[in-house]
Amino acid sequence: MSLILPKRRLSRRQLLQWSGLAGAGLLLNSCGTELGSAEVGKFTEPLNQAIQNLMTSQRPVPEYAVSQIEPDALLVNTFDITPNLDPVKFRLNITGEVNQPLQLSLAEIQKMPLTSMVINHVCVEGWAAIVQWGGVRLRDLIALAQPKSRIKYVYFKSADGYYESWDLKSSLHPQTLLAYQKNGQPIPVDNGAPLRLASPIKLGYKQSKWVTEVLLLNELLPKQGYWEDRGYEWFGGL
Amino acid sequence: MSKIATSKRRSRLPSQALLAKTFHWINIVSLLLMSTSGLQIYNANPVFGGRGGWNFPELFTLGGWLAGGRNWHFAVMWIYALNLLVYGIYILITRRWKNRFANASDIKALKASANAKRKTFAGHKLIYTAIIPILILAIASGLAMYKPAQLYWLASLFGTWQTLRTIHFVTIPIVVLFTFIHSLLALRFGGMRLIKSMFF
Repeated sequence: MSLILPKRRLSRRQLLQWSGLAGAGLLLNSCGTELGSAEVGKFTEPLNQAIQNLMTSQRPVPEYAVSQIEPDALLVNTFDITPNLDPVKFRLNITGEVNQPLQLSLAEIQKMPLTSMVINHVCVEGWAAIVQWGGVRLRDLIALAQPKSRIKYVYFKSADGYYESWDLKSSLHPQTLLAYQKNGQPIPVDNGAPLRLASPIKLGYKQSKWVTEVLLLNELLPKQGYWEDRGYEWFGGL
Repeated sequence: MSKIATSKRRSRLPSQALLAKTFHWINIVSLLLMSTSGLQIYNANPVFGGRGGWNFPELFTLGGWLAGGRNWHFAVMWIYALNLLVYGIYILITRRWKNRFANASDIKALKASANAKRKTFAGHKLIYTAIIPILILAIASGLAMYKPAQLYWLASLFGTWQTLRTIHFVTIPIVVLFTFIHSLLALRFGGMRLIKSMFF
């Protein structure tokens, strides 16, 4: 008994000390503040980006069956307004470092080969939805514009003021589409009608809706993307 | 007389290998950062209940908002994973797993031993061993969610997206529960002397 008792008394006191220390540590660590998160991001993003770029290949991502589509799971996220574009007047501009700048109507785009895919649409928030997207491969459009050899980035402008930039490799992926079809129907306005980006290899915030302009660039612009300029990682690969 | 007694006691103080202590420290700190930044990400769209779901209080979150939480999560993941990898190599090379992890005799003791102390010891070893696959599961499920397209074979092992998210999340309560049981059993076994030996 005499051997056990003093030990126990000591343990309890020190256990309290420890739990106090642990609690203080937790407080210092968190407190719901941004606490160095921007610095941490700056420090590791180059490494993470290089690894993500390395993992990105031109190999198609396996697709789902039509029966697996989850029509209600796809949530609508918009940073500002929902533009109502007239599909007849709509034009897609492809410009920048190209030999053949293009201005295409929706009818012209829909005459190009249609690619349909059933993929998982993953949002940065954590949710995902299996969706069918149908549209034209971005790489077909880029090829039409005859890009100059030094292009490295693709920049997208949207009718609502949203803007995004992608690496060329991801933009040329066979499942990176400018889509005008969702779950077998014309894309609803909320999901980006008449034309939006869709791809299984990028997070949702990279997949601009209401795309009106595609710019091919040698260098990234100072403004990299609406959410990226507010702190999101630029690559956003899956 | 008393001199001999103290020196004898001192020599019997528990001590731990430096590499084990280093792993233990880095593991605790990185798990704390991974969990708090993970809960920050969780709050952006709760695994249970989606947009209307219950959020964890700010006190338990790190990063301030989703992007900050992700920055922390995808920075500390390297430290957490590399630490575990080095530990794995270390226990393989030193064959430390042979007496530190639960073995057949522990299972037998747990089932049949009349010695209560032996039973508790065996139980603790079993819990201590079982947490290793959980730590690896956290990485595997995390990787599957981070790169579901490039590592689709890994993501498909976990079934649906909701199952994958749930499995990744559940590693937090398991680790928290483990920390409590592990600390209490260590305290009951070796008292503060044993606990101190693991930290300093």
